[in-house]
Amino acid sequence: MRRTSVVVADNGPIFRSGVRHLLERESDFAVSEAETFTDLVRAIELEAPDIALVDLELPPSGGVAAVARLAPKCQTQMIVWSFEASRDTVLAAVAAGAKGYLHKRISPTGLIRSLRGVVRGEAPLPRDLTTLMIAAVHGLEERDRVRERAVVLSGREREVLALVSRGARNRQIAQELSISEFTVKRHMQNILHKLDLPSRRAAASFYRTAFEPTGTKQVERIA
Amino acid sequence: MSVPAPDAALPLVAVVCGVPLLSEAVEQALQGMAEVRSFPAGGGDTAGFLRFLRPDAVVVDSVDEAQQAVRFARDAGATLVHVSLPDQRLRLLRTGGWVEYANGSASPERLRSALAAGLLRKGSRK
Repeated sequence: MRRTSVVVADNGPIFRSGVRHLLERESDFAVSEAETFTDLVRAIELEAPDIALVDLELPPSGGVAAVARLAPKCQTQMIVWSFEASRDTVLAAVAAGAKGYLHKRISPTGLIRSLRGVVRGEAPLPRDLTTLMIAAVHGLEERDRVRERAVVLSGREREVLALVSRGARNRQIAQELSISEFTVKRHMQNILHKLDLPSRRAAASFYRTAFEPTGTKQVERIA
Repeated sequence: MSVPAPDAALPLVAVVCGVPLLSEAVEQALQGMAEVRSFPAGGGDTAGFLRFLRPDAVVVDSVDEAQQAVRFARDAGATLVHVSLPDQRLRLLRTGGWVEYANGSASPERLRSALAAGLLRKGSRK
């Protein structure tokens, strides 16, 4: 029987040893370890493992960056995992090329079941993370809609709006952009009119929805 | 909770953890030196449960469980080790209080030596 090779990429030696101990008890897994991104690259080059379990905090740049760099270049199925997971983190990992995302609090049987599922072509994602993923995708759609609305703004209006979203007052905006307060007020009126928004607060929220970094944005930066 | 009788020939180590894979690491570290049993953290009366189980050593992975296990460990003379996996810290309860190893020092070898020393000390008093 061909064994599924798994590299555990994690800088926590106790955690690595726990995963190794668990998987080595099963006859269908072969395990190797990587402490850093460099070790992971070496393991992939030498062993071409079927699966890499990549810690979100893998040194030096984190698991998402590691997956973004390696996934396009190898056949190894990358699974990112962490103790805590946010919507943006899960989305960033999947957008970077991860096959799935797991909690490090997973049970031993759950981990084995998930890895066997990967071999069968399944994407491991716990139910709560699936919900996060769906919310993230909806968030992306919302962001795209909002961005489309923002095209009516001029470059200067967008600069004003960016400062408003950070809580700047008119006087501060005027100083920052070297324009008069009167001009700032006029820009604000134009922004609210063009976007059909009722208030400055709504405009700030609009800007954050449209332009604040999300999971995919993080991946764009990494790549 | 129903708990099978421990193997009398070996000391018993209870791992009360929120990360079940920690128990695998403890088992690996002790390799036949002790019987390792895993129990989920957050179950409530950990101190009472430990008094009932009477393990020779306890490993926990959260501050809450560590606080609950301290009294049992002191009363029973059991070794208590707190492993924080996210920040890779390991601390050991001694007579004078917690002895904390430096950040990033939580290795299987350190875990093994902390537990083995305690188990041997307890064994020699039996």
